Amino acid sequence: MAATAIDDVDLVLRTMAKTIVDNAVYFADLDSVAGDGDFGYSLRNGFEVVVSDYDTFDRSSVGAVLKKIGFVLSGKVGGVSGPIWGTAFLRASQAAGDKTEFTAADVIAILRAAVAGIMHRGGASLGEKTLLDALVPAIDTMETGLARPEAVQDHGSAALQEAADVAVRAAEATKPMLAMRGRAAYTGERSIGSVDAGATAVGVILQSVSAAWREKYAQKETGR
Amino acid sequence: MKKFVNDPRQFVPEMLEGIYLASGGRLKYEPKYNLIYRADMPQANKVSIIQGSGSGHEPAHTMIVGKGMLDAACPGDVFAGPPVEFVYETTKLMNSPKGVLHLVNNYTGDRLAFEQGREMCEMDGIKVATLLVNDDVAVKDSTWTVGRRGVAGNFFVIKAVGAASEKGASLEELVRIGNDVIANVRTLGIALTSCTPPVKGSPLFEIADDEMEVGIGIHGEPGRQRTKLVSATEIVDIMLNAVVPDLPFKGGDEVALMINGLGGTTIGELYLLYGIAHKKLAAQGIKVFRSYVNEYCTSLEMAGASLTLLKVNEEIKGLLNEPAEVSIRVF
Repeated sequence: MAATAIDDVDLVLRTMAKTIVDNAVYFADLDSVAGDGDFGYSLRNGFEVVVSDYDTFDRSSVGAVLKKIGFVLSGKVGGVSGPIWGTAFLRASQAAGDKTEFTAADVIAILRAAVAGIMHRGGASLGEKTLLDALVPAIDTMETGLARPEAVQDHGSAALQEAADVAVRAAEATKPMLAMRGRAAYTGERSIGSVDAGATAVGVILQSVSAAWREKYAQKETGR
Repeated sequence: MKKFVNDPRQFVPEMLEGIYLASGGRLKYEPKYNLIYRADMPQANKVSIIQGSGSGHEPAHTMIVGKGMLDAACPGDVFAGPPVEFVYETTKLMNSPKGVLHLVNNYTGDRLAFEQGREMCEMDGIKVATLLVNDDVAVKDSTWTVGRRGVAGNFFVIKAVGAASEKGASLEELVRIGNDVIANVRTLGIALTSCTPPVKGSPLFEIADDEMEVGIGIHGEPGRQRTKLVSATEIVDIMLNAVVPDLPFKGGDEVALMINGLGGTTIGELYLLYGIAHKKLAAQGIKVFRSYVNEYCTSLEMAGASLTLLKVNEEIKGLLNEPAEVSIRVF
């Protein structure tokens, strides 16, 4: 993968925010099966500000824009999602620092920092039926894909799509899991049989980001 | 959905504005943080007591802000804990030299927001202590779960620390008193119907006409089991059989007995349940020191009720008997 610049980061973050806003009802409905149904709406409260105000954010560095989003989420998003997603963006921001472009290894390091933040804030680990169960295998897949030589030619498009597909399958695989974190944990064995809303959201977001990414780089290829 | 509502996403702010305007100047409202607070707070000689939690449980928590109860409440949306920023800004605004007490119902969202908010406040040099309310016996407690939920028993914690704070108790004393109440209070709720969050616009879960949910959470979370609807007497038996052995409450104990409506049950039904519970406790030698029959912690328009028992000692009895002035007044 070639070096990624701030306009790539813009594309990913804008797509992510729009996807979350567009799917708020779907995510909330998933959450009402075993949780309390606030997940999609809570996230929307923050990401709709990201969508509307993105152009005004400080984008002098990758760290700056991630930090701004972290603050927006801490200020607007209630429930479990605000502290979890807010901490993820703030940790990612620290890992990104004042870089304005970065390599595949940097991308993975930033994502791993976000995961560490989620684990720190929520106290969850893998297999507890949370968004981590989709996010972590997706990042592992992306890391392997980005290490392949082809990743340079396609700007990581194939690696990102594989990661998105893994996230969707991993989210589906949360169905038989017993929820141990968040409000879904209160349902005990009755949480078994429904997918985790957070893990499903990770799959949906990555699919959208991957589609936008492929579109951008396919256009670049044909434009040459 | 059939509700008195304009834009569903403005449900909470419009409700809060009503609470503020109805208070006749006793309360203030800061829309930016869903914040309702006492106009006469903070005070240098009193610990400030704050609660967040989600909306949809009214009168908890915004309608019980007042002298002798909460000093401020900064709820999130319906059934969602407040954003971290609400906690941080509310705590800063209510900062007192005697400190600030955070009352947190034990839900992951509330805990995370208040933990992060407290860390931020402590960086600013604000003295903060936290009480975690977890009275719901429906949730089996163990090390790997998120622990028991805070439900209607929260009222007694607020009442006790609110009264003690008015008499000048220190932050450390309030933590001791609050933990004493938390250690002695137990609740079980039963739902007959579902509820509809305004933004969702449809019921949170399905429940048949002849069914009830035993151990319901106040956000519609499933409880211990779904069973056929039984008589009121049998329902009280289910409640007492879950609550009494849990502490356990024993013959000779004095208790506060609360029958709390979940939002869609008539006050008549609540008194019917109360009478049955009172007699059954008396038969076990458990004496009701003080009764509470009303809506204290609801789940929107859910039909249902919870039963709370608090074992009282002389100190707690004194605090429960202290006056309080809150928005919910019927006379």
